[in-house]
Amino acid sequence: MAEHEVKQVISQLHSLKVSNLQTAPKLLSKAKLGLLHLNALVPDDKTSPAHLLLATTVLEQGALLSIRLKDTDAFTRYYQQLQPFYSLPANRWSRTGKPANQGKVTGLYLLLLLSVGDYAGFHTVLEGLETTGGKEQLENDQFIQYPVRLEQALMEGSYDKVWGETKGERVPSEEFGVFSEVLINTIRSEIASCSERAYPSLLIANAKNLLFLDSEGAVVQFAQSRGWLAKDGRIYFPQQEEENMAAEKDVMSSTGIVIENTLGYARKLETIV
Amino acid sequence: MADKMDIDAINGEKEAEKVGPAPELPADRVIINNFGLIVQAVNTFDHRFTLRALRSISTLRKADNFAEALVKGIRTAFPKPSNNARRVLEEALPAQHTTVTNGTASNGAKVPEETQFAEVWAYLGVLVQVYLYDAGEHKKGAEFSDHFVDKIRDLNRRTLDPIGAKAYFYYSLFIENLDPKPPSKQSPVMDIRPKLLAALRSAVLRKDADTQSVVTVLLLRNYISTADITQADLLVAQTQLPNSAANSQVCRYLYYLGRIRAIQLSYTQAHEHLVAATRKSPTTGPAVGFYQQATKLLVVVELLMGDIPDRSIFRQASLESALYPYFKLVQAVRVGDLQAFLKCVSVYEDQFRKDGTYSLTLRLRQNVIKTGVRMLSLSYSRISLRDICTRLGVHSEESAEYITAKAIRDGVIEATLDHQQGHLVTTPQRDAYSTMEPSEAFHARIEALLGMRDECVMAMRYPTNKHRQEIAEAAKARERERELAKEIVDGEIDDGEDDGGFEGM
Repeated sequence: MAEHEVKQVISQLHSLKVSNLQTAPKLLSKAKLGLLHLNALVPDDKTSPAHLLLATTVLEQGALLSIRLKDTDAFTRYYQQLQPFYSLPANRWSRTGKPANQGKVTGLYLLLLLSVGDYAGFHTVLEGLETTGGKEQLENDQFIQYPVRLEQALMEGSYDKVWGETKGERVPSEEFGVFSEVLINTIRSEIASCSERAYPSLLIANAKNLLFLDSEGAVVQFAQSRGWLAKDGRIYFPQQEEENMAAEKDVMSSTGIVIENTLGYARKLETIV
Repeated sequence: MADKMDIDAINGEKEAEKVGPAPELPADRVIINNFGLIVQAVNTFDHRFTLRALRSISTLRKADNFAEALVKGIRTAFPKPSNNARRVLEEALPAQHTTVTNGTASNGAKVPEETQFAEVWAYLGVLVQVYLYDAGEHKKGAEFSDHFVDKIRDLNRRTLDPIGAKAYFYYSLFIENLDPKPPSKQSPVMDIRPKLLAALRSAVLRKDADTQSVVTVLLLRNYISTADITQADLLVAQTQLPNSAANSQVCRYLYYLGRIRAIQLSYTQAHEHLVAATRKSPTTGPAVGFYQQATKLLVVVELLMGDIPDRSIFRQASLESALYPYFKLVQAVRVGDLQAFLKCVSVYEDQFRKDGTYSLTLRLRQNVIKTGVRMLSLSYSRISLRDICTRLGVHSEESAEYITAKAIRDGVIEATLDHQQGHLVTTPQRDAYSTMEPSEAFHARIEALLGMRDECVMAMRYPTNKHRQEIAEAAKARERERELAKEIVDGEIDDGEDDGGFEGM
């Protein structure tokens, strides 16, 4: 009975229109209740393959839908709930075949970690995939390769690559597109902080290209938001002088450290002698 | 050669001592002598004797007649065949040994008395584990150990702790060798976690530092083997290694900690732990495998931090061939040659995967680029972005511009960019001695030395009650002094009397 209900909800979820995405959480909770009745929300030794598939389908749908709804907390919850299913041995799935969206959900989770700047978490998950999944699985999965490529480009500083990846056709599926905006904002602020240090001044027209902005007006607006000076068609970065001052102060403040260290040595010497 | 070293490396980590002096006594004598040591340990409550008994395991296991000797030992300790403890131990051994030597124990005219100590039984149990492990009977060993560690935990005797720690070590080792092996998620190592955690809990409650340290390290190893880094991290955050842990356990603990931190990108911490691990670990003998593993990881972490490891590391005899792929890697990173780096990674990929450093080496890509940028900026006072592009092997000028800009922000180079001309202009280098750098380097070295001295002082062992003796001696000395003083005073009086006598004369 409950099984039938869950199946019904799944078909409803599949046929869900973009306009009424908001009803998804309600349907999902209903499906999860059904799974609880079936005792399939958490896999154990006795759960049948059919129920396993049912549960993963619901959870995966939940994960993908919460990404569309931009509810990252819910997505993380679904991701965690899916983990015990993904770590089941292959023979438990028998005829039904492995869950379809494992790569997609994992890839999205990686991208989520990347977009919030949790590089440690990103690499921890990746390390786990590497050791358990093996090389082939990892390198053939475009959904996982996408965030991996992005991370590499971000780390080495090829921001134009990141920009290219976030554009339409390079994004592997529409759920991934949700993060594009976040990522563009991330790289824009990265570029801005790099430019502050790297250029003495910059033409507004050049800045427009560098920052991937649409118009010069947007550049001026962006410049103001970061406290840059825009005059005579050039942008000047006031931070540099402040930093020079800070460096000067640094030498002064380091005297404290030197004194502290020397006192430390003296104290240690005393205990030794 | 590299392969052979690697097998050694793994064995070394598992403490399979392969070299060592041949036993001078026959194996059975050694075992029976060790009973004495253990009994002494129990009576004096000094675990050093137990450790001495355990130390002989490495020589014992290499004896040809280890199994016979073991049976003899068991019969000496438990002469009655009906004894329950004896039955348990003998069941684990292959039948031909137990039947062949049946007569020997009853040969002796006087029947030795039944041993009273659980410690002796546990010691024999560990020997049985060692025997089973060497014989490759992992399944049997796992079953035996499963009951064995439970029994030890139930016995709850402090004098049993060092032996219990060993028992857990072999228990985990057996489980690891059962199919499916980690990193499969169905590996039996997942199933022993609750047991190990329970062992850790009771060890902490009983202030059993030996078992605590061993089990902590085993759990870390267990988690890392299935790539459950988050759980390993949580374990580290929730527990602490006892201060009195043996050096070998501290080494392992630091190594695993370094590994976790490296994966989490906290390279500075990882570096600290790994340096400590390599410094503490023996550099020769059976543990050389561990030293190699730790150094491999250390080299990669150092590269990730942007440092170039010393050339001398790769010249050490025990490391030279094992670290050859890493040497090539360092060479590629040092000159900032992206093509050579990629080639090196693909050539030695299998080796890196085996060492578990592959994903870390992939992260080095950005370091290679950074070093490349730094080399260019050092060599040229002004260079066009186009040239940077071709030298670094980056695909577009735009990328090159962003990369150099990032390098400038991260403080890799001191330079400015000229966007219109497409130039990178290097600002002249400041004198290193006008900065804090020398004093920082000095401070780091002094810190390390002082830390080592502190550890040495703490590691020194003083005989118990020594200070009480000293106090007694000091008190005695004071007594003597007082007596002396009294005598002197008396003497003076005597003298005075004598003087008086003189005068009188």
